[in-house]
Amino acid sequence: MRETRLWLLSLACTTLLLFLLGAHFALMHYSPVFYGQTVEETRTFAALLERGRQTAFLVIYLLFLAAALYHGLYGLRGILLELPLARSYGRWVSGALVVVGLAFFAYGTYVTWWTFTQ
Amino acid sequence: MTHATATQTITFRLRRYDPEKDAAPRWETRTLPVSEGMTVLEALHALKAEQDPTLAWRSSCRMGICGSCGMFINGLPRLACQTQVLHLASDVVEVAPLPNYPNVKDLVPDLAPLFEKHAAVRPHLLNGADDQPPQGEYLQTPEQREAYGQFSICIKCGLCMSACPTMATDPHFLGPQPLAQAYRYCADSRDTGLRQRLEALDALHGPFQCHLAGACTDACPKGVDPALAIQLLKRTLSLEALGLRGRKPTPREVPLAAEFKPNEKIPAPPPRTVPTHPRNP
Amino acid sequence: MSMTSQKPIPPRPNALGLKGWVYAGRYSFERYLYLLHRLTGVGLIVYLLLHIIETGQRLAGEGAWTALMALFATPLFKFMEYVLFAAFVFHALNGVRLKLTELGFFLGRPAQPVYPYPSSVKRHRPLTYVLMILAALTIVLGGSSLFF
Repeated sequence: MRETRLWLLSLACTTLLLFLLGAHFALMHYSPVFYGQTVEETRTFAALLERGRQTAFLVIYLLFLAAALYHGLYGLRGILLELPLARSYGRWVSGALVVVGLAFFAYGTYVTWWTFTQ
Repeated sequence: MTHATATQTITFRLRRYDPEKDAAPRWETRTLPVSEGMTVLEALHALKAEQDPTLAWRSSCRMGICGSCGMFINGLPRLACQTQVLHLASDVVEVAPLPNYPNVKDLVPDLAPLFEKHAAVRPHLLNGADDQPPQGEYLQTPEQREAYGQFSICIKCGLCMSACPTMATDPHFLGPQPLAQAYRYCADSRDTGLRQRLEALDALHGPFQCHLAGACTDACPKGVDPALAIQLLKRTLSLEALGLRGRKPTPREVPLAAEFKPNEKIPAPPPRTVPTHPRNP
Repeated sequence: MSMTSQKPIPPRPNALGLKGWVYAGRYSFERYLYLLHRLTGVGLIVYLLLHIIETGQRLAGEGAWTALMALFATPLFKFMEYVLFAAFVFHALNGVRLKLTELGFFLGRPAQPVYPYPSSVKRHRPLTYVLMILAALTIVLGGSSLFF
C-alpha cells in the first residue's frame, strides 16, 4: 500500500499548505491589508529576525517547509514518471527527488534555526 | 423502393499507412456523396467498394456493441458505426487511427496493449474459490448490483485509452479501461480480491497517475464513465491503506435445489485454450 | 515476393507524446484545467526551490538581504510575484476540487446509464464553477499588490 500512502500524505499536505501558504502570502505580499504594515517594513532584516526568533514561527516554518517540499516534489515525481522512459527509471527518478528534497529541507532547516538563534 | 434522400458531397481526409510501401503515414483526400443516416463506417465501405479497395480498418457488428471500429474522427475518438457523417456538421471529415496505440495499417490500431493491461488487473471474480466451480448461486441485492453495474458494460473499444493524457506519454500507465475494470471487480460484492490486485494497482503507474482530466468519460461510447470508477478506486485504495475499509462479507453461495441434477446430455467444458497471462495465471 | 516467408513489419508507434498533454481533441474544459494545474504546479515547485535558496541569503548579513529586497521591490519582480500569487490561487482552488473528487465526493453514484449518458465530470461542474469564480475574484482582488 506504499503508493497509496504516498498519495494520501500528499493529500494531507495540501490541507496544511492551503492555510500555511495562504497565511504566508497574506504576511509577505498583502501585509498592508492584513497586518497594517507596508511590504517593505515586513521584509526588513530586523522584522525577519523579530519574527524568526519566536518558537511558533520556528515550528510553523519547518512544518511548512516539509509539507511544501513533499507535496511539490511528489507532484513533480508524477510528471516525471509519466514521461516515456524505461520502467526501471521510475526508481531513479524517485530516488533523485528524495535526495533533492532532503537537501533542500536540510538547508531550509539550517536557515530557520539560524534565524531562531539570532 | 425509392428514397428521395438529399445527398451532400463530403470530403474525407483519411490517414493512410501501408507498412510495406510508406515510410510514414500520409493523408489522402477523397470525396463521397453522403445521405442522411450514413455512418462513417458505411462511408468507409463505400469508399473501399467504389474508390480504393486497399483501404483497411477493423469493424464487425456495425451497431456499437463489439467495440472494433474505434477511430479518431474530427477531433474525438469515436466508434465509426455510431458516428453519422452529417451529424459531424462539417464538410471535411478527418478519419485517423486511434492515437496512443501502435498503428498496424491505415486505420487499424494494435489493441494488444489494451488487452494486456486489462489482463494484468485480473478482471474476473477472485473470492478464494479459484479453479473450483461455485457450488451454487451468489446472491446479490439490486443495490449491490448497482455499485458496479455501470462499469460492467465496457465493450473494450479502447477509446478511453486514446483520450487519456497520461496514456499519451506513459506507455506503462494502466489506463482508464483496466483501472475501471479493476474497480468493477473490487466493488462487486462477490469479489474479495482487492489485495490480490494490489501488485498492479498500488504501483508506480497505477491509478494515482490519473489526474481527472475526464477525457476518458467524454470519449466512452457506452456511458461507462471510467473517470468515476477510477476516483472510486482511489477512494477504495485509500480506505484500505488507512485500514478503514472493513472486512467484506464472504459472498454467500445459495446451494442449488436438492432436486437439481445436472443434465448428463450436456458435455463437460472443453480444456482451456486461452493462454494464461503471466500476471493472471 | 512470398507473404509467408516475410517477417511481419511491427506496428508503428502512434502515441501523441507531450503534445497530447496540451491538446488531443475536442474534450471538455476540465482537461485544460488539468493542463493548467500541471503548469502552475511545475512553476510553483521550481519557484519554491529557488525561494529556499533566496531566503537563505540572510546568512550573508543585513547588507546583502536589504539589497535583495530592494531588487524585489522593482516593478518586474512585483509583477512576477503577482503571477506567482495567481498561480498559487488557481492551483490551490483547483486542487481543492481534485482532492475532493479524487476521494469520490461530488461525482454522483454509479447507475445504469441511459442515453444521453450522465458524466461524473459534468456532474461536479457546479463545484468547478464555484471554485473557478472564487479563484478569478481572488486573483483580480490580489492585483492590489501591484500598487503597494
